[in-house]
Amino acid sequence: MATWIFYILGAVAVVATAMAVTRRNPVHSVIYLVNSFFALAMIFYLLGAPLVAAWEVIIYAGAIMVLFLFIIMMLELSPGEEADRQGPGALQWLPVLLLGAALLTCTLLLLQLDPAAGQAVPNWYASPRDFGYVLFHEYALAVEIVSFQLLFAAVGAFYVGRAASREKQPGGQQ
Amino acid sequence: MSALELQSLLPQIILALGATTVLMLGAWYPSRKWILGGVVIALFAALSAGLMTPAVPEVGNLYSTGSYARFFVVLWSLLGALSLLLSLRYAEIHDLPGSEYCALILFAICGMSLLSAATSLIGLFLGLEAFTLVFYILIAFKREDSRGAEAGLKYLVMGAVATGFLAFGISLIYAASGSFHLPEAFAGLEQAGGMRPLGLAGWALMLVAIGFKVSLAPFHLWTPDVYQGAPAPVTGLLATGSKGAVFASLVPLFAALGPLKADLEQVLWLLAALSLLAGTFAALPQRNLKRMLAYSSVVHMGYLMIGLLVGGSEAHRALLFYLISYAFATLAAFGVLTSFSRVDDEPQEYADFRGLGYLHPRRSSLLAACLLSLAGIPPLVGFFAKFGIIAAALKGGYPGLAVIAVLAALTSLYYYLAPIVVLFMQQRDARQLRRGCRHEYFVLALCFSAILLLGVYPAPLLDLLTGILP
Repeated sequence: MATWIFYILGAVAVVATAMAVTRRNPVHSVIYLVNSFFALAMIFYLLGAPLVAAWEVIIYAGAIMVLFLFIIMMLELSPGEEADRQGPGALQWLPVLLLGAALLTCTLLLLQLDPAAGQAVPNWYASPRDFGYVLFHEYALAVEIVSFQLLFAAVGAFYVGRAASREKQPGGQQ
Repeated sequence: MSALELQSLLPQIILALGATTVLMLGAWYPSRKWILGGVVIALFAALSAGLMTPAVPEVGNLYSTGSYARFFVVLWSLLGALSLLLSLRYAEIHDLPGSEYCALILFAICGMSLLSAATSLIGLFLGLEAFTLVFYILIAFKREDSRGAEAGLKYLVMGAVATGFLAFGISLIYAASGSFHLPEAFAGLEQAGGMRPLGLAGWALMLVAIGFKVSLAPFHLWTPDVYQGAPAPVTGLLATGSKGAVFASLVPLFAALGPLKADLEQVLWLLAALSLLAGTFAALPQRNLKRMLAYSSVVHMGYLMIGLLVGGSEAHRALLFYLISYAFATLAAFGVLTSFSRVDDEPQEYADFRGLGYLHPRRSSLLAACLLSLAGIPPLVGFFAKFGIIAAALKGGYPGLAVIAVLAALTSLYYYLAPIVVLFMQQRDARQLRRGCRHEYFVLALCFSAILLLGVYPAPLLDLLTGILP
């Protein structure tokens, strides 16, 4: 059963990603990408990593995609073809509906079969506690290095961003 | 993570904490003097790496603290300190904020030191990303320079793609072997069947990423634009430290490879040969010193690749010697460019250098010496470095590569002599003086004595390299 769900989810992820890459309308791409992330999240769950699955949904499908939408909004990318302005046709919403339906079915099936709810948790199952233990014991140094990198990434973003705004209004701030 | 482990990683910790301290204090006391503070921090890290005996051989299964790793901490810290010294006047005339600049360079050195100490694929990835991330910013550091912004964007986009390749490659190798740690990560990939194809695919992806980071031939297209757009001292560090650190980490990686190397041999051969040829042909028509140095660095990476391909302690020693000689000569060349730069311009085109040899004979001759060393003219160090690599190729059974390397070295004379001709033999029409400062002269003198002394008397460095090789 789990194998079947895995293959369905894999197909959904591949199709959704392919659609995301090929769409001309950036917002459509984002929607397909969200579908793909949901499929990936469930694959992670099947593989016994519930925490990663939750992150996939919260961080990628939630936060990052909202960020994408913001950027698309701020760049004011035009919808492009005339057809887009008249609202989506069946060809545009049907694939995403099918993918979404497949995802929903898989979710319901997963609920029935839940690997974590059973009494004997298999030893490949990485509970959030195990995950945190490994992350902050074995890879504590790695976490520290990544946090340093993020600090300097923030410094760089701030520096470069400030430079751009100064360039736009010469003599404005100085 | 025990206290002993932290203590063993002291040099890198000094660099990272020093960078954040400078960054924080710079918010209250903005000054360009912080760059000098950065020099002190880098030297301090070099001292602690050179003098301290680490308590544990490996920290957190990620980074080694062996003599090989510490040697490179010293080397990158010194290079970083030198490029910070070079940046003092440059930062002043281009109005760069001292503390941010200094903090970024220090963290870049920290990343390089981590990378060359990596004993696990995770450590390798983190170290590599640490300084690549910083370079994205440093390349675009000049505010008003649209070419710098373009270079930064190019490096960012291509670098991000390369990072994706690296992460995917590492994950495939992990899937095949079940370990990130170095000798084990390649175990089990030797015998046919099972996960071997997956591991080889992972290696292919990793080679793409590595090829991008050190600009090997099919992946070198970003190099000239980035070199041209980046501030000269940053280019100096990018050309020496960032590429050198990748090679320094590849030596133990390939030593751990074992029999798997036979599978990669043809690909590596092709990469080396393509880099030598493509770099040479692209460098020939250049009339811009930075672009010429960029293409010639592709050729140098081809030489280093030969050392990696041949393998064995002798070839690896030749590789490291080449790396050091290349680093000092390249840093000095960009140092001369830095010291020639003025508020409004940074000389790059050959036309800018016309007759400068008469106005500034000392620095021009120094630039000529660096170029001759890069070309491999005795008694400068470049000759012995090239000789070592070619001899290793012949001994290791790669006569074809040795022939290509000799031809590339001969052809390189043309493009290395072209700027020298412009400097000294063309009509003098540079009138305005290009004054440097004494920090710059100090760095240039140091680099020059290094390429001369190592060329005349390379034995101590070679002995040292023999001692530290894993």
